[in-house]
Amino acid sequence: MATTVQRSLRAGFWLGWKIESNWADPLLFLIYSVIRPLGSALILVVMFFAVSGGRRGPLLDFFVVGSAFWPLVLAGLQGLVTAVLEDRELWRMTRSVYTSPISWPTFLIGRTLAATLSAGFGGVVVILLTGRLFLGVPLTLSPGDIGLLAAVVAAGLAAILALGMLTVAGALMAASDAWHLPEAISASLYLVAGAVFPVALLPAPLQAVARALPLTWWLEALRRLLLPAGARLSFPSASDGTVLALLGVTTAAAVAAATVAFRLAERRARRLGLLDRDSGF
Amino acid sequence: MNVTLMLRAARGRALPRLTGQFRSPTWVLYETLLPLLGTTAFVFVYRALGAPDRFVSYVIMGGAAVAFWMNVLWMMAAQFYWEKRTGNLDVFMVSPCGLTPILLGMSAGGIVATLLRAAAVVAIGTLVFHASFDLSRLPAVVGVFTLSLVALYGLGATLASLFLYWGRESWHVASLFVEPVVLASGVYFPVHALGFGVGLAASVVPLTLALDALRQLLIGPAHPALLSLPVEVTGLAGLAVAYVALARFALTRMERLARREGRLSRRY
Repeated sequence: MATTVQRSLRAGFWLGWKIESNWADPLLFLIYSVIRPLGSALILVVMFFAVSGGRRGPLLDFFVVGSAFWPLVLAGLQGLVTAVLEDRELWRMTRSVYTSPISWPTFLIGRTLAATLSAGFGGVVVILLTGRLFLGVPLTLSPGDIGLLAAVVAAGLAAILALGMLTVAGALMAASDAWHLPEAISASLYLVAGAVFPVALLPAPLQAVARALPLTWWLEALRRLLLPAGARLSFPSASDGTVLALLGVTTAAAVAAATVAFRLAERRARRLGLLDRDSGF
Repeated sequence: MNVTLMLRAARGRALPRLTGQFRSPTWVLYETLLPLLGTTAFVFVYRALGAPDRFVSYVIMGGAAVAFWMNVLWMMAAQFYWEKRTGNLDVFMVSPCGLTPILLGMSAGGIVATLLRAAAVVAIGTLVFHASFDLSRLPAVVGVFTLSLVALYGLGATLASLFLYWGRESWHVASLFVEPVVLASGVYFPVHALGFGVGLAASVVPLTLALDALRQLLIGPAHPALLSLPVEVTGLAGLAVAYVALARFALTRMERLARREGRLSRRY
């Protein structure tokens, strides 16, 4: 069992890495990997300065941390669903992968981790460095918190993959609309998860949705770890312990929901012959 | 070229884009809703910053502009790449009309389809977020908007010819033109905020001058313009002529190159 998981993960990662990166030479690929997320972050930075007239403020720090980590969500969530759809409809290899002696969901996770590593982490580093060096964002991380930061990032990745798997479950059941799902879900999350503005600004029903999402607590935990005390937060009255506990609980719930939903969707797709369906889009 | 044949081919290529609007209502929902979600997030960002009301109008206009830019990028520039993947490009190439009417039809169909979505973004955004626009110079707005579309889709046709030659890279290049262009063109803020030099350099993408000119007309003197309105309109007209001519030239050249190197039927 452990060997199958390891083999599936490695095969998926290797394939994902090749698909993501071998279209260009390494330097061009590196530039490509950071330009898009940096562009997104700078849109917010210029919006901030257009309003503030060039003065700094706590919301700038909020924007920088949120937009630095958001590329991981895009790469993870969209990468997972796109992998399923491209395997099914473009490369037409779902049948081969599904019937090989590997675990399909683990293989998909491996592919997505490659996409996340190639498209996401470069953006995180470059945006945080740009924020620190050029925008004066007071990023701080005490050596004692490095382990906690790693744990929070890992929890966030688990949450992203779980949300991706939930979207895959939807995509396995949808017809031509499946191609729209990853973008629709990630755009909705961008709006409600406190990525670029505090959750308190949302209408009350959307605030409730935000509180149920692990990504909201993930971004809140990251801001608390990386920004000094007194920084602008989505939930200033919540304690650090509460935020971490809610991150753990919502992530576990998302993983459990994704496991059940994926199994049900896979079973249904297999029963109805939809696993390798070509929707024609 | 036979004009009747050209028009018939253009109409034939435009038709799927128009009928597609009504054949799959969920697509309309997605393609209206998705730009609106991003637009809404930026409205909340400005609210968090306590920005003046005109910034909400910037965002709503930006949301509509993004719909056009996405259409130009993915449904014009990258379209020949999709057609390669699905095997349609070969069919276009052996048809008696050539690629120019195909591009013309793609543009016409894309403009009408995107116009509906952009209108929905503006209407819903205006209703929900109370964005206000000065409509006293509506004929000028329509004129600038039309000119902008010609320049924008001319650029799309130019890029399409480049992507005719490229393979998998074209997808990545198109991706690369999303956020950086949205940033440099000042889609969600006045481009003046980037500084005169950057704004001027970004004017190579018609979206920059188009948005700034339309904002001068629809928002009024409160909008910090990059250049005066007559200069921007002249610039847009120049870009329109230049890109249409460049598209015509590039299409012939890249098609010849792609034929010689056997890239037209290579799917990936």
